[in-house]
Amino acid sequence: MSVIEIEGLTKRYGDLVAVDDLSLDVAEGEVFGFLGPNGAGKTTTIRTLLGMQSPTAGRVSVLGADTTVESERLDALARTGYLPAHPSFDGQATGREVLDLHKSLKGGSRRDTMLDLFDPPLDRRIRAYSTGNVQKLGIVQAFMHDPDVVVMDEPTSGLDPLLQERFNEFLRDERERGVTVLFSSHVLSEVRRVCDRVAIIREGRLVAIEDVEALLDRSGKLVRATVIGDLPADAFDLPGVADLSRRNVDGATQVSFTFSGDVDALVDELDRYSLRELDVEEAPLEDVFLQFYGGEASA
Amino acid sequence: MLELAAYGARRRVKGALALSVGLSAFSALYAAFFPSFTGNLDLEEYIEALPPVFVEAFGLRAFDTIEGFLATELYQFAWVILLGLYLAYSAASLIAGDVEDGRMDLLLALPVSRARIVGERYLSLVPGILLINLIVAAVTWVATRAIGYPIGTADLVLVHALSLPYLFACAAIGLAISVVADRESVAQRVAMAVVFGLFLLESVVASTDYAWAGAVAPMRYYDPTAILVDGSYDLAGAAILTVATLALVAASQWYFRRRDVN
Repeated sequence: MSVIEIEGLTKRYGDLVAVDDLSLDVAEGEVFGFLGPNGAGKTTTIRTLLGMQSPTAGRVSVLGADTTVESERLDALARTGYLPAHPSFDGQATGREVLDLHKSLKGGSRRDTMLDLFDPPLDRRIRAYSTGNVQKLGIVQAFMHDPDVVVMDEPTSGLDPLLQERFNEFLRDERERGVTVLFSSHVLSEVRRVCDRVAIIREGRLVAIEDVEALLDRSGKLVRATVIGDLPADAFDLPGVADLSRRNVDGATQVSFTFSGDVDALVDELDRYSLRELDVEEAPLEDVFLQFYGGEASA
Repeated sequence: MLELAAYGARRRVKGALALSVGLSAFSALYAAFFPSFTGNLDLEEYIEALPPVFVEAFGLRAFDTIEGFLATELYQFAWVILLGLYLAYSAASLIAGDVEDGRMDLLLALPVSRARIVGERYLSLVPGILLINLIVAAVTWVATRAIGYPIGTADLVLVHALSLPYLFACAAIGLAISVVADRESVAQRVAMAVVFGLFLLESVVASTDYAWAGAVAPMRYYDPTAILVDGSYDLAGAAILTVATLALVAASQWYFRRRDVN
């Protein structure tokens, strides 16, 4: 059974089409990434899925409940955790007061476990919280009632890298426990670490649904190197190199390219030169779109 | 049940206490002022010189008795106008404030119906309203005895008890505006303008052929001067206010249940 079902979802605001005929299913126990640039319609989809807005057309359901119907939605929400993109709490309240309120309304059997992992200063007023602490409180409230499904909008924005890693580890454990997760992001590297499958959305439309492995094989890395001296004409002439550019700067050569080939071959090639600098990073999401979904994505 | 209301009410206790202190000081000040005031002025002549609309708006009658004096200075002014406006203003932020800065998202993701959110948010104002009435009534009772012009206990209790439906109605007006508006500051301004507009309407039309138009104003159904000076209690008015309040809260719940929260 699919835990989250979205079928032909369209949401318009006047003339603006925020989501356009979007369909996807998230299976039980799956960690599903929802990837797209800012403004692609991710947040609108999530908020419509949870019943904060009504769809212009199409169907949405969570745990088999039609979330546009309040009586059905409340049953589903009791078993759902939600972390909004910018969680906002009553600034006058302390974190403890907010969690106590949430506990009284939805339960809090895992509250202490969550607080061991993510520990905002509970007795301080929330208006004095840093962005990271607000995000931690958001994560705790999303999981404290041991939900079967969790929907998160850009969950690691505002977390420092160490906490991001802890959060990713936590999500992998949650998957082991059988929790279903829908997780939106505009950063490919974030999604790849934890997701099984990824839906790519752009301008309100679904561009592709891919297994993460397949997507990574196709998306490649952005490689930038500064080599001392000149480069031979056949340098970096390897399978999987694309968009190669080179530039001479004070006796060195700067090269950059995207690489989706065999990593060993790249290391061997780099070994031929004397390097001053080397950067290897995830290809930016926009490049992935252009490279692999070019026609459709830029339409 | 009532977790949201209890949470909201706790957050409002400080504000209600501060307001109680302010209004108590107001009441005590007027009481202290009364003995010298009543001895030195020909009040009947003064009131006759005022425009009838003004006399009507502030219920100026029997101004040389402690009852008539407080009815005008404390209850017509501080209760009907100030507290009415304040409650409309506070209620206007109950929903619009949370929607505007995104706090509503986390509430809507809880397994709690939208009608319950609206209803409990409204109820969170009730303890504060009761607290203010209780404290100021007690202070007024003591203050009038301290100056040697004691106000009747039954009348004092009733002027406060019958103000409750009026104040709840003002808050319901604010709530209704709050569920429609997207921005807190807009909701607050509109709510105060509506309540003050209704007060002006009722005052202006009261002594004209258009007095019927004032029937939409909650101020028509609560008259502190009538209670304190004449000992006449408008129970039908209290019932009308209660019905109107319930209707406004229900309409707010109905509307909020159907709207998109952006």
